Amino acid sequence: MTKFYLKTVSYFVAIMIIPLSLKGISAEMTEKTVNLPKSMGVWTRSDSARIIDSSNIFHYMNGGGELYLAYGFDHLEVNEYTADRQDTILVEVYVMNTSDDAFGLLSLDWGGEPVTFQSTVSVPFKPTVSPPARALYGGGLLRLWADTIYARVMAFRETAESKEAVLSLGQKIAAKRNMPGEPELLKVLPKAMGSDWKLRKDRIGYFRSHLVLNSLYYLSHQNILNLDHSTEAVTAPYENISNAGISKRVQVLFVKYATPGRARKALDNFHNAYLHEHRKGFDPGVAKRHMNSFNIEDGWLGYSLDGMCVVIVFECPNRESAQMIIKQISCSTINRENNHGK
Amino acid sequence: MENKQKGLTRRDFIRGTVGATLAVSVLRVLWAKGSEKAVGPSLVTVVRDKNVMDAGLKVNSNILQSMLDRTVLQVTGKRKIREAWADLVKPDDIVGLVPTPHLNPTHEELVDVVKASLMKEVGIPEKNIIMAQGGKRKPGRCTALISMPALKGHWLTGIGTVIKNYIMYSGRPSNYHQEKSAKLGEIWLIPEVKSKTRLVIVDAIHPLCDKGPQSDPRYKWAYNGLIAGTDPVAVETVCLKILTEKRHALRGEPWPISPPPICVEAADKVYGLGTSKMEEIKIAHFGWEEDLLLG
Repeated sequence: MTKFYLKTVSYFVAIMIIPLSLKGISAEMTEKTVNLPKSMGVWTRSDSARIIDSSNIFHYMNGGGELYLAYGFDHLEVNEYTADRQDTILVEVYVMNTSDDAFGLLSLDWGGEPVTFQSTVSVPFKPTVSPPARALYGGGLLRLWADTIYARVMAFRETAESKEAVLSLGQKIAAKRNMPGEPELLKVLPKAMGSDWKLRKDRIGYFRSHLVLNSLYYLSHQNILNLDHSTEAVTAPYENISNAGISKRVQVLFVKYATPGRARKALDNFHNAYLHEHRKGFDPGVAKRHMNSFNIEDGWLGYSLDGMCVVIVFECPNRESAQMIIKQISCSTINRENNHGK
Repeated sequence: MENKQKGLTRRDFIRGTVGATLAVSVLRVLWAKGSEKAVGPSLVTVVRDKNVMDAGLKVNSNILQSMLDRTVLQVTGKRKIREAWADLVKPDDIVGLVPTPHLNPTHEELVDVVKASLMKEVGIPEKNIIMAQGGKRKPGRCTALISMPALKGHWLTGIGTVIKNYIMYSGRPSNYHQEKSAKLGEIWLIPEVKSKTRLVIVDAIHPLCDKGPQSDPRYKWAYNGLIAGTDPVAVETVCLKILTEKRHALRGEPWPISPPPICVEAADKVYGLGTSKMEEIKIAHFGWEEDLLLG
């Protein structure tokens, strides 16, 4: 009797809970999924999108899947628009875990013609460190960042008609989406440092993986900075704008770790792998703050450990410039944290 | 000072110690082995025709056939097309054609003209010409291979053209990415593949100079060329030069291929597949000269 009672109650609970759960999943999917029009100009899409997730992304794009998994990737929706006597338009909507992840994918290449889409969501004007573009078009390919979405809309052959369709599809994807600002981390990059060094905004890259770092600025085939999904990082070159005849460009790398302990361990690992012949000058077990600079083959390298953050600057013309740059970036971070604390 | 260095870094490229580091960290074999390397300079031909592809990206097969004919004549040094092909393959060969299917696929028109030439000039029956891209069983069935990749960069290996074209023959393609891409050359030495490649012919009609991972039309351009030779490493080295020059030209500033394509030098120094030194390569160029990118 008791057994029968328990079984009945279990069924009842299941009947009550399952629809509620499904409703939750459905709401989430609706929020994250893009409703694309059935047709655009002369192009028409198939009835349903192909859904790609981490389990089948390599089947879809081979090793290219590593790029999206290097960020917080939820899933990809693929639609193909076809038309008689026209080449296909491929629409790939990458639904990422955060807006920062979607921004990161756009930041890998700031080239192309900036495109502005009208949004029903008001976006307060905020000055940005990176280029202000949220969508870039070139050669038939539109890349855009809209909240947690990064999208690629590509006409396999560019014509005036296909360009119009590609941009209209971009508008549909971006419409009604929130427009969060660029990742907060970018604020660590001053627009200029001293009177000599100016930020190359168009080369700013935001990432969480050494694979992406290597595609922006090669450091090592191995993950010597312990980058993973719990870290966020930005790299950018600064160009020398003086006529002093010193090296033209330095590369700044800033990484924020989940804890100060991880930052310490990462810097220790970096030093062992990259600067093994140089004395460390800090105890990775206890150091909270540390700064050092080293003369290596391509110039002076400076680094600093500052709580959860590691700053490294490469290819500096001398020790003074390496130290000056490291100090400026560390100070920016501290100032930002202090301001947040007020 | 204790040596704690384990992996390849940027500093190895600046110091010129890539080989030594790779030998210790990844390859675990001696650098500068050189087993199958040819004696004397390796010949690489670059044949271009401005009109092989029109503004709508349509390839003219007749012009492409002429470019192919010119290519095999120059690669073999023969005077007649039939003799040239006969120098590369025999009528009783089972020939595997190995195009690239992904990212920047080999033009089907190129596959068609190569196949037609094998049938017409050598007399190989159609059934003995196999599309051999895929698992290692495919080259295992062949007595000769013609590698036909398209020219392109690759985001995990730097370049994804000649040496990487046989990656599927390994059965474990993901084992050859990142640092382990240095080992791509070993696939050319597995029994199903070793010594079977008679010609490497790179489809450089519409190359992709950025590394992907997906195609971006801004980085594709009409080079309208075929790059060929019998030394796969030399052909790859010339391809690398063209990609690098194009990237610099596009941005007007240095834009190195990143990550650096370590498979090329390793294919030379470790696996002895050919030469990666430009000074050991003789480039023979024919046809359209504008933006040759080999200066």
